[in-house]
Amino acid sequence: MTALADAWADGSLGSRLWLYSNYHCNLACTYCLTESGPKVSRRELSPATMLGLAHEARDLGFTGLGITGGEPFLVPDMPELLGELSAVLPVLALTNGTLFQRGLLDRVAPLGDAEVTLQISLDHPDPQANDVMRGPQNFSRVVAAVPALLQRGIGVRIATTLEEEDADDLARLCTLHRELGVSDDDHVVRPIIRRGRAETGDLGVVARYLDLPPELTVTADGAFWSPFAPTVTQGVLDTDLLLSRTVQPLQRPVEAMLTVLGARPEGADSTLNIR
Amino acid sequence: MTTRSRPHDVVPFPAPRVTLVDAASAPLLTRPYFAAGDPGPIVASLAQVPELVGPMLPFLGAVLGASWIPLREKEIVILRTSAVMGCRYCTETHSVVALDSGLGAQEVRALRGELPVADAFPDAGERALIAWCEAVAHGAESDLRQARQALLDDDARVVELTLLVATTVLLNRYATALALPTSPDVRDRLIREDM
Repeated sequence: MTALADAWADGSLGSRLWLYSNYHCNLACTYCLTESGPKVSRRELSPATMLGLAHEARDLGFTGLGITGGEPFLVPDMPELLGELSAVLPVLALTNGTLFQRGLLDRVAPLGDAEVTLQISLDHPDPQANDVMRGPQNFSRVVAAVPALLQRGIGVRIATTLEEEDADDLARLCTLHRELGVSDDDHVVRPIIRRGRAETGDLGVVARYLDLPPELTVTADGAFWSPFAPTVTQGVLDTDLLLSRTVQPLQRPVEAMLTVLGARPEGADSTLNIR
Repeated sequence: MTTRSRPHDVVPFPAPRVTLVDAASAPLLTRPYFAAGDPGPIVASLAQVPELVGPMLPFLGAVLGASWIPLREKEIVILRTSAVMGCRYCTETHSVVALDSGLGAQEVRALRGELPVADAFPDAGERALIAWCEAVAHGAESDLRQARQALLDDDARVVELTLLVATTVLLNRYATALALPTSPDVRDRLIREDM
C-alpha cells in the first residue's frame, strides 16, 4: 500500500478531494469562513483545472470529489461541469440552495442520473432566525428547492451550522428536513468555526488544525489541509493551513498533506464534531 | 541652527514588498521554522510558498553554512559579493556575521567598499579571492579569466567558492527585490561599530 492508501485505510485522512470552484456568492452569511459575498474576489478554479484534478484524484485513489465555494452555481456552466466531474468520481456539491429557479432546475435535471449529491445549508426551523444568519428569503427558497431537486432524482443533504445547539430547535429542524424528504442520515450538524467572517463577528469555536477534518482541498490560491481551511479574514487569505501553492500535479500537495499528517502529535485527536 | 546628518542616523527602510509571514499565519509545513521565534525575513517571505521552504533552506545551509572552507573565507565571499551587488539587507546582516566570525573592523569596511581592499587585506590569496567574487558577481568573461588565473586554489575550492558567490547573488537579488528589512539587532550593532 502507498502512504496515501494507508492514511485512508486507518482513517487519518478523508478520501474526498475538495475543490473550491469560486469564492463569490449571492449571500453574505454572518459566519462565512471565506467572507464570500457578491463583490468579493472570485478566486475561480477553471473547469479545465477542476476536470484535470478530478482525473488525477481518481488515478491516485481518491473516492470522491467535493465542490464548494462561494456559491458554486454562480459559475456559469456548473450544472454541466458537475455532470462531467461525476463521470470521473462521485460528487458532493455544496450550495446555499437559493438559485434553483425554473431555469437552473431544468439544467440540473440531468444530474438525477449522475452520482451527484447537493448539500444545502439550512440552519434553523424558523424562517426569521434562519434568515438573520443567511440573508432574506433564504429559508423559503431552500424549502422550495429541496423537494424540487429530490423530485428530479437529485440526492440532497442538509447541512446545519450552529452557534449554540438548542435541542428543541434542532428537533424541529429535523422534523422539517424529514418532511422535505431528507433522511437523518443526510443531515449534517456542525458548529460555526471561528475563522473568516465568523472571527470578525466574534462567532464560533476556535479550531486547531487537528480539530478540522484532514481532507485535501484545492483552491485557486493553493492546496489546504481541510475544506474549512482556505478562509479569508478581512479580505486577506489565511495561510496558516496552507499546504502548498502548487496544486498540479496533485501528487505535490498530496505529499505535503502526508508530511503534515505524519508530523501530528500523538493523542491530539479532535473533540469537536466538525464535518 | 543647522543639524548635521550623522552617517549612521537610522534611515527608514522601504516597506517589504511582500507580506512577511508571522508565527500565527505560518503554513503547516513551515511551522517548525517559527517555533523558536522570528526566523528572519528570508524564511518569513519564503513561507508564502511553503513547498519552497523545505528544499531551499537545507540548500542555503549547505552552501552558506559551516563546511570545509574556513568560515572567515566564506564571510569574505558573502560580504564582498553583497556589497558589490548593492544588497543593503545582506551587506548589513553579514557585516555583523563577519565581525562575529573574526574579521576585523577594517577588513569589514574594506569588503563593504568603504576602504581600499589592498589596505585591509595584505594576503595575496585573500585579495585574489575578493577579485574572484567581483568577477563572478559581474559575470564578464575577461574579468573571470583574469581573476581565475590569480586564484591559485584547486578545483574543488573554486567550485564551492563560486557556488557561494552565485548563491549570495541569488539572495542579494531576492532580498533587494523584496526590500527585506534588516533586523533591529543588526542595525543597533552596526551603529555601535560605527558602520
